[in-house]
Amino acid sequence: MPASHASISTAAATSDPPIAARRAGLTNRQREVLAGYLFIAPDFIGLFVFVGIPMVLALTMGFFDVNGFGQFNFVGLANYQKMLGDTVFWQCLRVTLLYMVLLVPSLYVSGLGLALLVQRSNRFNTVMRSIFFAPQMVSLVVIGLVWQLLSADKVGVLSRGLAALGITGVSLLGSPGFALYTTLLVTVWFLMGFYMLIFIGGLQDIPREYYEAAEIDGAGRVQSFWHITLPLLRPTSFFVLLISLVASVAGSQAFDLIYVMTKGGPANSTSVLIFYVYQQAFQYSAFGYAAAMASIVVVILMLATAVLFLMTRGGRFNYE
Amino acid sequence: MSSAVFFSRRQVDIVRIVWMLVALVLAAMTVFPLLWMLMISFKAQAEVFQPVLLPKAPSLKNFIYVLTEVPFVRYLFNSFVVSAAITIIALWFHTMAGYALARLRFPGREAIFLAIFSTFLVSLPVIIVPLFILVRAMGMLDSYAGLIVPAIFNAFGIFLLRQYYLSLPRELEEAAIIDGASYWRIYWSVILPLSRPIVASLAILFFLANWNSFLWPLTVTSNQDLWVVQVGIASFRSQYASSWQYIMAASTIVAAPMLLIFIVFQKQIMESIKTSGLK
Amino acid sequence: MSNDTNMPRGWNRRDILRGSAALGAAGLAGLPLIGNAYAQAKTLNFWNFYAPDSEQPKAQQDWWTKMAADWNAKSETKVELDYLVDYMQGNKLSTSFASGQGPDLFLISPGDFLRYYNGGALLDLTPFIDADVQKDFPDAVMGTRKVDGKIYGVPMEVEPMAFYYSVKAFEDAGLNENDVPKTWDELLELGKKLTTADRYGLLFQTDAGYYQNFTWYPFMWQGGGEFQGADGKSAFNSPATVAALKLWKDAIDSGAAPRQVNAGGFDMVANLGAGYCAIQNCGIWGIAAMKQNAPDTPFGMFKLPIPTGGKYVTVGGGWAFVANAKGKDPDTAGKFIAWALASKEQDSVQRVVDWCTVAKSDMPPRQSAIEAGKAAYGQGELKFFADEVYPGARGEPRLPPEAYKIISDAIQAAQLGGIEPEKAAEDASKQLDAFLATYKGAPML
Repeated sequence: MPASHASISTAAATSDPPIAARRAGLTNRQREVLAGYLFIAPDFIGLFVFVGIPMVLALTMGFFDVNGFGQFNFVGLANYQKMLGDTVFWQCLRVTLLYMVLLVPSLYVSGLGLALLVQRSNRFNTVMRSIFFAPQMVSLVVIGLVWQLLSADKVGVLSRGLAALGITGVSLLGSPGFALYTTLLVTVWFLMGFYMLIFIGGLQDIPREYYEAAEIDGAGRVQSFWHITLPLLRPTSFFVLLISLVASVAGSQAFDLIYVMTKGGPANSTSVLIFYVYQQAFQYSAFGYAAAMASIVVVILMLATAVLFLMTRGGRFNYE
Repeated sequence: MSSAVFFSRRQVDIVRIVWMLVALVLAAMTVFPLLWMLMISFKAQAEVFQPVLLPKAPSLKNFIYVLTEVPFVRYLFNSFVVSAAITIIALWFHTMAGYALARLRFPGREAIFLAIFSTFLVSLPVIIVPLFILVRAMGMLDSYAGLIVPAIFNAFGIFLLRQYYLSLPRELEEAAIIDGASYWRIYWSVILPLSRPIVASLAILFFLANWNSFLWPLTVTSNQDLWVVQVGIASFRSQYASSWQYIMAASTIVAAPMLLIFIVFQKQIMESIKTSGLK
Repeated sequence: MSNDTNMPRGWNRRDILRGSAALGAAGLAGLPLIGNAYAQAKTLNFWNFYAPDSEQPKAQQDWWTKMAADWNAKSETKVELDYLVDYMQGNKLSTSFASGQGPDLFLISPGDFLRYYNGGALLDLTPFIDADVQKDFPDAVMGTRKVDGKIYGVPMEVEPMAFYYSVKAFEDAGLNENDVPKTWDELLELGKKLTTADRYGLLFQTDAGYYQNFTWYPFMWQGGGEFQGADGKSAFNSPATVAALKLWKDAIDSGAAPRQVNAGGFDMVANLGAGYCAIQNCGIWGIAAMKQNAPDTPFGMFKLPIPTGGKYVTVGGGWAFVANAKGKDPDTAGKFIAWALASKEQDSVQRVVDWCTVAKSDMPPRQSAIEAGKAAYGQGELKFFADEVYPGARGEPRLPPEAYKIISDAIQAAQLGGIEPEKAAEDASKQLDAFLATYKGAPML
């Protein structure tokens, strides 16, 4: 639509006609393209410099033997071969996949559940929301310690609780069979407020008229949920699944909590791949090997993301 | 809130009360570990690991120690300045980028989006060494710039904002375009005001993420004057024991302003409801 | 938008570029000259976890600041102490070395020695240390910091491991200090006896890490076990190793020891002090920790019990001063270390004594310091360590990271993972052999 000098609506009374642009002879289309590039430039350049370049450097290190003290030897695929023969690597892979498969739905369900519970705007819900979000305020070091205390063998509150239910002899963080699930529980406890917030945003985007119309038509709550809420939540759902996927595999939630609470133990049962990468890089100075494994982490994420995209049909859900 | 059509008043109330109880139980379970942390702040060192909730002789000693024996106020100041700067700049950049990706058509847009998206798949432990070298080469080590600049660029906000802008109805923008408004004007006067709910949410999340950030600030700063609160808290860990009572007291001090900000911003989110008043 | 509108007459873009390049090249070439001009004003950075901004006890911080002040008073090149948060677990040191700029002076533990040595980061300190003083450091202490007879680190302390018990727990069970266990079987029995509904009888470290390995080694050595045989192959799969793994496994399986410790097995106050366990496997630092922070829990000590047919051995840890071979001024760094801890001057010996008896409670790494500190080592808990625990202490082994991880996994598998000790030892031994076949660094000790 060509720019018109005649103002049509009242809202235009305060807008400046882009005289400079028109003097320079740019068409509307060209203006749009220029604006597009300029608007995206700060973030694009920033991401390129501070994430893109380090990412490429970090991943190419996988083809070198880096001893962490200035020596770089090109070794081709040697690191990857070593990885294939490393039993700890395979264990970490198993743990990572298990953790991802359990964490993503748990975060989705708890986030959505809480959001549904407290979506109405009243004082009670404001307090509830703040409480559910409160774990996010506390640093992970502290969270790790408090949960360690609570799940201390035999005398910790949680252990005593389990004993009261008849379950004894279980060490929440010290049994290889349980430690991962306990870590999962703590992660969900820590993150559910975050996802709750995102879902509340998504829920509030759904116009109340739809629900009212459905009620008039005789739909029950469950039907409302299935046929109105869920479909209209699809963009939010997609987004939540995506970020929880990334977080569970490579994010700080996967790493920090394990670093603080279990250090990958007991017996490597909570050693997610990103943790092993950290160990190899910073505790063993095997930066090349760590980089090779880090590239596997990226590959896993790419595959999982691709699956997610396919499952939601290319994420097509925008209403334009 | 009309639900009177098919349920009796009493049934609705019962349902509502049940849900409130459920919420209360969940809230109690959520808050219990935090309560424990709070209690430890009032305990003496020998009591920290005892499986008893209440301190024997509660005192403010730990809080006083944290605030006076170490420059904790300075750390709070640093954290605040850094987090606020990152939040404001990031919100500005990301709303621009989200708008461009959602609404403006330019060649290579999808490719750029894909590139930005791919940075999502990378987390700090993977890139920390090259990033450190880069930041050092740029002379930003041990400076506020080193703390602030790298933390601004994260695809999460861009993605969320693009999502949000895609779902905004176009009418207001189209009206502005017809009137010959420049894209900057549209962004500033039309898009930004419409973004209030999501920007409020993101403001909380960005501020919080940076308030609690540890690994990067630890790596990029050595000077104690630049320490942020999480680094300061970690300094309470010594070789063979950690002064957990101080760590807990410090964490309580650190968490309190965040909780306040959250409560304040919540109102923002809830009040600026349907500013997309066309719905 | 023409090129020349704002430039002085006769300049164009190309000339500017060429000129800048030339200036830049000249500048880079001139940098070393500028560097030399400032050579006199260098400071050496000493990265540590004690001073000046740490939360370590004041006596320890004071020792460090005094040492730096004493040196700076008499030397052109100053030493600056840099406290690193999270020194041990953090990534600052590795990141700095990896990015080409490690500190001039820093601290390492024996477990980490090979990582730095094999990376070429450590300066040979032998030329700076008097031959007499070299003999003053017993081989059990210095051996793990030497390669081919050359010294690469000077230990500042020796921290042997022993057992501590709660006097109250003993009294409640009708026991006294004569009932301390002398054999492994007695230890397990006692552990079971002292286990109640609210407390564990015995505590070993359960978190994987260098510390866990460190506390486990002596149990293997007591039965005569070793990592490597004379032929260079793994000797890990031996009855001694299996027995040591079995001891730790039995402690857990019998219910006497917890699978999870409070804060860490090295934290006496959090475990013994909090009543979580009645007996704790811990090091000499426990004395000071308990006295300062858990004064209401009286404790006793006993040395490591031995298996049937075994010999008493304990392990001695302790950090060492090292210099970066590629630092700003390795020569002065080496001189500093020698002056601080390894000179035959009285003040050097006294410094070591002060560290080990005043600032901390540790055994000193030098013979002469033991003599000089006779008063402190002649009484109280330190006497017990000096007389009973320390003789028979072997230095914490140095292993390359891969070997450390193999052994760590074996310990974890047997102790917590439910794997039979025989299998754990066998698997680890095979992996060690595979590693040793391609290992080209300094020997493990």
